[in-house]
Amino acid sequence: MKEVKIFQQMYRDGHVSRREFLAAMGALGITATTAGSLLTSASALAATPTRGGSVIFASNLHGPDDTLDPLLGTSTIDYTRSNASRNGLIQIWDDMSLNAELAEEWSVNSNATEYTFKIRKGVTFHDGSGLTAEDVVWSMDRHRGEDSPSSIKSFFTNVTEWQAVDKYTVKLSLSSPDADMPYKLTQPQAKIVKANATDWLTAGSGPYLVDSFQAGVKSTHSRNPNYWRDTGQWLDGIEITAITDMNARLNALLAGSVDMITSISPKQIQKIEESGNNVLSVPAGLYGGICCLKNTAPGENDDLVQGLRYIQDRERIVRKFLKGHGTLGNDHPINVSYGADHCHELPQIPYDPEKAKYHLNKSGYSEAELFVAPVTGIIEDVCLLMQANLKKIDFNLKLKKVPTDGYWGAVWMKEPLNVVSWNMRPTANSMMGIQFGPNGNWNDTFWNSDRMGELLKDSLAETDAAKRHEMHCEMQKLVSTESGIIIPYHTNVLDAHNPKVQGFSNVPLGQFGGNQWMEHIWKNA
Amino acid sequence: MLWRALLSRLGISLVTLWVVSVLIFIGTNLLPGDVAQIILGQMATPESTAALRAKLGLDKPPYLQYVVWLQNVAMGDLGISKAGLGAGLGTPIVEILEPRIFNTLRLTGLVTVIAIPISLFLGLIAAMHPGTRLDRAVTFSTLSLISVPDFLVATMLVLIFAVFLGWFPAIVYLRGDETGWVLIKTLAMPILTLVIVASSQIIRMTRATVLNVMSSPYIEMAILKGVPRKRIILRHALFNAVGPIVNVIALNLAWLVGGVVVVEQIFSYPGLAKLMVEGVLMRDLPLVQACAMIFCVTYIVLIFIADMATILSNPRLRHPK
Repeated sequence: MKEVKIFQQMYRDGHVSRREFLAAMGALGITATTAGSLLTSASALAATPTRGGSVIFASNLHGPDDTLDPLLGTSTIDYTRSNASRNGLIQIWDDMSLNAELAEEWSVNSNATEYTFKIRKGVTFHDGSGLTAEDVVWSMDRHRGEDSPSSIKSFFTNVTEWQAVDKYTVKLSLSSPDADMPYKLTQPQAKIVKANATDWLTAGSGPYLVDSFQAGVKSTHSRNPNYWRDTGQWLDGIEITAITDMNARLNALLAGSVDMITSISPKQIQKIEESGNNVLSVPAGLYGGICCLKNTAPGENDDLVQGLRYIQDRERIVRKFLKGHGTLGNDHPINVSYGADHCHELPQIPYDPEKAKYHLNKSGYSEAELFVAPVTGIIEDVCLLMQANLKKIDFNLKLKKVPTDGYWGAVWMKEPLNVVSWNMRPTANSMMGIQFGPNGNWNDTFWNSDRMGELLKDSLAETDAAKRHEMHCEMQKLVSTESGIIIPYHTNVLDAHNPKVQGFSNVPLGQFGGNQWMEHIWKNA
Repeated sequence: MLWRALLSRLGISLVTLWVVSVLIFIGTNLLPGDVAQIILGQMATPESTAALRAKLGLDKPPYLQYVVWLQNVAMGDLGISKAGLGAGLGTPIVEILEPRIFNTLRLTGLVTVIAIPISLFLGLIAAMHPGTRLDRAVTFSTLSLISVPDFLVATMLVLIFAVFLGWFPAIVYLRGDETGWVLIKTLAMPILTLVIVASSQIIRMTRATVLNVMSSPYIEMAILKGVPRKRIILRHALFNAVGPIVNVIALNLAWLVGGVVVVEQIFSYPGLAKLMVEGVLMRDLPLVQACAMIFCVTYIVLIFIADMATILSNPRLRHPK
């Protein structure tokens, strides 16, 4: 299957989207499920799921603050446990499409201010009690209010009421239109738990029961025999732990002590593949970048920012530093992994020292100071490369190295030029809104544009796909030319696993396919 | 007389403990980044930071925070970890510590049981035959192993025994119900690492002390009397060498309880040292302080015992003029 390999490479390089890839596979006569796993692995061609066995999953971070309360979740290990043992109202599938989970179906009024969810009947929590609209309302109300400890409460500030209309119908009223709301409901923090839950071990309805849980050590899970869905659940058991040391994590996989490890570094890929293990590389929206504050010198000077954009050798960064496991950045956060909202019409900004020199000369600056901390994988290398390239055109960039400890409080959004990393948000609108919106708390380049605010608001209420795409294109153009953010690259989500474990999806919103692998992977004997 | 020595030692220990508690408190407060800011991370706003600061009692002056903390610790209340604090209730630190202390003691115990007899044996053997090939082999290997840092020993052992040979697991993954052989196999790698690192020191110390005693006049006398060398060492020299040997053993035990941070990280072993690292990463200061106090108490208690052993084993100290 040479064609498959070609398409895999094109997908990995970001030349074709997930949707185009799946369509191409369809044209080659490959079924949709197989095509999904083909996005990263060629061996999936011959695979059929088998029942039984168990896996040990090793995340990268854990500690005494691991939690089973979904709304407090902040790390991969929390999201993984949440997805194993709970369900949400709606879930995202491989092609970033929305699918029914505990909400059997949902509808929205014409201006996206009122949603009605029909709750699935016959779903039971792990303690045996049945799911009703009350549980949904209780779970979702916890994200509201000033005091809510929810880590995603900013997603729900426009909620005026969650109301149980009858035992199996829930109505959601919003103070402003929000066509993205269904996406927000797919977040791991927005899982539905039993109303007034006190025992978090049995509060969920998910595919795997929580048999034991020790924060900072591990949790064990076994198949939920009363699960409402009758497909999947191939594994008998799952154990979830973490190994914080990166090399120890790799050794554990190589020695066969664990089956899956998260967050590998591009440098480890060759070793993993030589050992016969598989690397799962999924293009995603997370990025490292450089913030030039627009409300102060030197970032307020548009030519300076423009010069710094042209000096980024993006192809080299992706090829050398990320070993190909990333996509080119175009100075706005919405890359190809955001699906339909990504503006593929926008031309890629090239590496062009001549233009960089022209703009920097015009800006009047011949030196600047950039604050750098290792906030994300390769950002230090990227800054060093930038410094070297600037030196060739007689611009002196000083790199001020600072520790990650306390970086977000002391440097980010304070020093005129600093580095930043952002995770992927479920929708283009929420990503742009939080960083560039008029009400965004984290407008980290202090760029304010009325037009941007208008577009953010209008695109949320726009239900026509073509018009919506046009609006998103305009936003991406605005950010990439006027704001102070420079995004040279997006990193793929990188994980590694034992080849016996198969069936991973490719949702880019977290490790191992959006942290939602447990229901549909299997392990060959 | 013995009682006075014991009491004065006890007094010194308590003062040390108090000084250390002050240092720990100052040290944890010197860590960069405000606790509230660290908890909220990249997504902090000034309002939410201030609110959390008030909730955690961080708006009070540091000396007041110290007094409250010391009072609680003296009463056996180690405080509340920030874990789960977001939802209203934190986790009592004692609850977090219990399984970790058990794990640490289990590892320390196993290492001690294996390392001490081996080291004493090898140390004595080397001392009995100074200058022989056996002695040189022991000296050479212990010196080399002391010079190699423990993380390198651990990584090499993992590469050899876990990755290439596949005899033992690369990390310690405890199911909780392991006993006997299975438990030994699971713990084999960290035990091996720690035994290697700890024994090297004890072997060198035993050899040096015994040889030192061997050059004293009364041993010369025994040799002249024609007492067999084996009897001289086991009967005359060893007892006079007990003091320094017990001291080095105590220091190694204390190190095993608190200082094996790297080894616990590499093997992902859920012990006290790893807990403290996690605490530092999360700026869970009460937890860090509790761990530090436990390590400090361990050191002081073990060294107190070692001092006592030295005094008891030495007639001159036992009966001072």
